[in-house]
Amino acid sequence: MFQGMNFAPAKLPGELEALRHEVRDFLSAERDWQPNSDFNAGASPEFSQRFAAKGWIGMTWPKAYGGAEKTFLERYVVTEELLAAGAPVGCHWIADRQSGPLLLKFGTEEQKQRFLPPIIAGESFYSIGMSEPDTGSDLASIRTSAEKVDGGWRLNGSKIWTSNAHLNHYMVTLVRTAPPSDNRHAGMSQFIVPIDAEGVTVRGIENLAGEQDFNQIFFDDVFIADDQVVGEPGNGWAQVMSELAYERSGPERFLSAFRVLAEFGKSLTLDSSEEMIRLYGRLSAHLVVLRRMSISVASLLESGVMPDTEAALIKELGNSYERLVPEMVRLHLPGEVPKALADALQECILHAPSFTLRGGTREILRGMIARGLGLR
Amino acid sequence: MNDDQRLIADTTERMLEAHCTNQLIDQAEKGVYPTKLWELLESNGLTSLGADTSLGGGGGSFGDALVVLRQAGRFAVPLPLAETLVATQVLGECGIQVQKGAALVVGAEPGSSGDSLTWTARAAAFGRHCETVYFFDEQSPDQLHRFSQAEITRTEGEDLAGCARDDLRVKAVDAEIEVIKAGSFDLARLKLFGAATRAVMMAGALEAALEATVGYALERKQFGKPIGKFQAIQQQLAVFSTQVAASTRAAETLMVSEELLEIDVAIAKARIGEAAGIGAEIAHQVFGAIGYTKEHGLNHLTRRLWVWRDEYGHEGFWQAHLGHLLLANSNASLWHQVTELG
Repeated sequence: MFQGMNFAPAKLPGELEALRHEVRDFLSAERDWQPNSDFNAGASPEFSQRFAAKGWIGMTWPKAYGGAEKTFLERYVVTEELLAAGAPVGCHWIADRQSGPLLLKFGTEEQKQRFLPPIIAGESFYSIGMSEPDTGSDLASIRTSAEKVDGGWRLNGSKIWTSNAHLNHYMVTLVRTAPPSDNRHAGMSQFIVPIDAEGVTVRGIENLAGEQDFNQIFFDDVFIADDQVVGEPGNGWAQVMSELAYERSGPERFLSAFRVLAEFGKSLTLDSSEEMIRLYGRLSAHLVVLRRMSISVASLLESGVMPDTEAALIKELGNSYERLVPEMVRLHLPGEVPKALADALQECILHAPSFTLRGGTREILRGMIARGLGLR
Repeated sequence: MNDDQRLIADTTERMLEAHCTNQLIDQAEKGVYPTKLWELLESNGLTSLGADTSLGGGGGSFGDALVVLRQAGRFAVPLPLAETLVATQVLGECGIQVQKGAALVVGAEPGSSGDSLTWTARAAAFGRHCETVYFFDEQSPDQLHRFSQAEITRTEGEDLAGCARDDLRVKAVDAEIEVIKAGSFDLARLKLFGAATRAVMMAGALEAALEATVGYALERKQFGKPIGKFQAIQQQLAVFSTQVAASTRAAETLMVSEELLEIDVAIAKARIGEAAGIGAEIAHQVFGAIGYTKEHGLNHLTRRLWVWRDEYGHEGFWQAHLGHLLLANSNASLWHQVTELG
């Protein structure tokens, strides 16, 4: 394969099976939810707190902040079990996946001590503040800005498509802190904005499925103290980019339609039609290979490599797969469709448009892959 | 891949890069069999990997043989390398001495002609080029019959890639029949090994086709710039590379496994077979008319992809096979089966 693209076979160590069983036991004891198809479809602060009590939020982080110093591969096992069970992970998902690791990498010692322990305790939930009404794929064009004032910054502007902002406590917000210059990636910073701060307004946006999971947020002269700027002012772009490998290579990028496939499989027997069995095999083959690729990338993350192109590649391939599953399954339904399958399919079809938009659109990801191929 | 496999891959790559040229492949298609290339690979032990040295094999595992075949796929080698390596594996498992020269194990229908028993194998890959041919009698599949090329009557044919695919026929009265106990080997297992060879060869050919296509997109200029600078092309090549990455990963599972698992072969042949069509289509679209010529080397790769995806069961066959394997294991949920596969 091309230089800079590495999916060398990696296996999850056998000793992780004990952890996997522990997670499965926890989930089956907890299970009072309707399993969702999409990881973004359920959020429960109570679930996240009980999950945190097991030590599974921030489990790779240093013990000094309350973490368990587990490996990325252990975290991988825990997260994939959550997703496969369709658990309501929405509250802690972002904090665990990227806000915490961002603070660990770029935050001050004081910030780590202040913000990480409540995340690990399942009491502090985060949103991502990147997109704006006029800024989607072209992230460097953000206009939300802050001017320096005594002891901090005065923030004005707006962020949009912010999942679960109405349930969360903080938003890591990308802000312009210096006017645009020739270097369009310069002059940006990341703020930790408390969502209940004075001057912050959250307005819910209903998605086409009729759910209210994302929001627009307005900042009206919001004061952000200096100690809530992540890392160095002006370093925001590099920091945001470093979050993306975490955001893009995980199992949530190919398991959004898993519920549909699992319910489809339950509706089949060896006597089902050859077309149905073939489709089940086809979609399962894709799943196994995607998972193996994703585990290869998790192993790279474990060894300290930041596999940006591989992560983009998994997201692109995984999202295409997630779009394929409901489209194919609906053409191969059994005569009498079990309710669980019908429900999963309906939810998946309604959520599918978001799969190839969130976390970087299909077109942006393909552009990143093309860069990895040396084409740009 | 382990260190030994990396060494095998590098050695094979170096030899094929130097000797398996487009010209050689073109000539092979015109009937000039590349004997020297065969001898080079054989003398370096690459044609007998996977059977114990005590049996005249080169040692190593079938996974090592697959490492060689992935390179063979990259370079579109017009030799019965896969056939010989599978034969080596069959003989090794049966505890039989491996012969020098190219060999082929193939299923054959029994029949009769006049007073004599006959066996016929249809469209046998590189049939005319294999010095030893082992027939699996489809009626009594625990037996292998060994024949030399001289005992065989051929009706010659070729596949889409211009490689020999010959009907082979033996009349019992004309041959010295040597019956070998096939041990644990049967036709289903032969198909499994065959499918594994085609899966890794496709993965190799896809890698090479992607590399060639990206290279061409950076060279070929239209509208005043390399076509690879156009987003329409970049998006196509990005899709191509996702298919190649998945194929490579699926193929490598087969190479690194200690044992060739039926379910892993099913996954690999199903997944890579699907990628082969997509990759070949994009490669040709980006290359434009020049890639559609016989003169340009791209066709060596793409025609083989179209052949290999159909051999030993096309992707639809293996998708269904995988579906059956998963459903037959009715005690475990799909998720449990997926995680157990690793």
